[in-house]
Amino acid sequence: MSVTEGLTCRELVELMSAYLDGDLSPVEAGRVEVHLADCDGCEMVLDEFRDTIRLTGMLSEEAVTPAQRDTLLGAFRDWKAGRG
Amino acid sequence: MNDELALVERLRAGDEAAFAHLLDTLGPSMRRVARMYVSTDAVADEVVQEAWIGVLKGLDGFEGRASLRTWIFRILVNIARTRGVKEARSVPFATLAGDDLDQPTWDPSAFGGPGEEWAGHWSTLPFDWRGLPEDRVGGAETLRAIQEAIGRLPPMQAEVIRLRDVMGWTSEEVRNALDLTDTNQRVLLHRARASVRRALEDHLRSVSEA
Repeated sequence: MSVTEGLTCRELVELMSAYLDGDLSPVEAGRVEVHLADCDGCEMVLDEFRDTIRLTGMLSEEAVTPAQRDTLLGAFRDWKAGRG
Repeated sequence: MNDELALVERLRAGDEAAFAHLLDTLGPSMRRVARMYVSTDAVADEVVQEAWIGVLKGLDGFEGRASLRTWIFRILVNIARTRGVKEARSVPFATLAGDDLDQPTWDPSAFGGPGEEWAGHWSTLPFDWRGLPEDRVGGAETLRAIQEAIGRLPPMQAEVIRLRDVMGWTSEEVRNALDLTDTNQRVLLHRARASVRRALEDHLRSVSEA
């Protein structure tokens, strides 16, 4: 069976991020795809990595503290005034 | 990149709204990055201020060879490191990045052991959340679970996943901004995503059982 000749599931889970980011070489990506075609477990976990990235992308960043913001806008005005 | 040069021109011209936008976008991340190298939040705030002043002073010399945000972070990291040295606070890379980078991210017991017929292949699959309705998967509680999972990560892993997956920076920008090797950037991102995936699995399993 092809799965036993190529990557193991244990190896493949460590490549999932790089695979999804397009960071693998064509040969490595090919090995991943050969495995995925035969392995429902890895296909599922890969879907979950995709979902993880998608859901993480829905977070919003924190805000700058108002005091820090005021200080820095003040620094910007000083800099601007200094440029004449 | 053209948008970026336009932004740089606005800053050079003293456009306060452009500066405020940049500050709001990058400020929180800059504070966390500074805090990795120095001892207190107050010192981190000073480092961030010093970095912005350095950015303003250097703006006329900015040539756009790196992205603007990468350039800003390099100034920040250099100032933060110098400040950390002055404080005699040396933080080992393993403390920032995690001390298990050479270990697998997945529990080895989930796979068949050596010598077994299915060695290295799944013996225990994680919970499959794909059948859950999107309003339960993508709800506020899920986002809180992700936020908390990121908060538990070693700080450099947390920052890499925030910059890459929350703020949408490229791997090259993140590597240059945080002064990481290409390999480390990828390893940190993968570990961070694997930890968040696991937290999501735990959260969504409990949602499905509720």
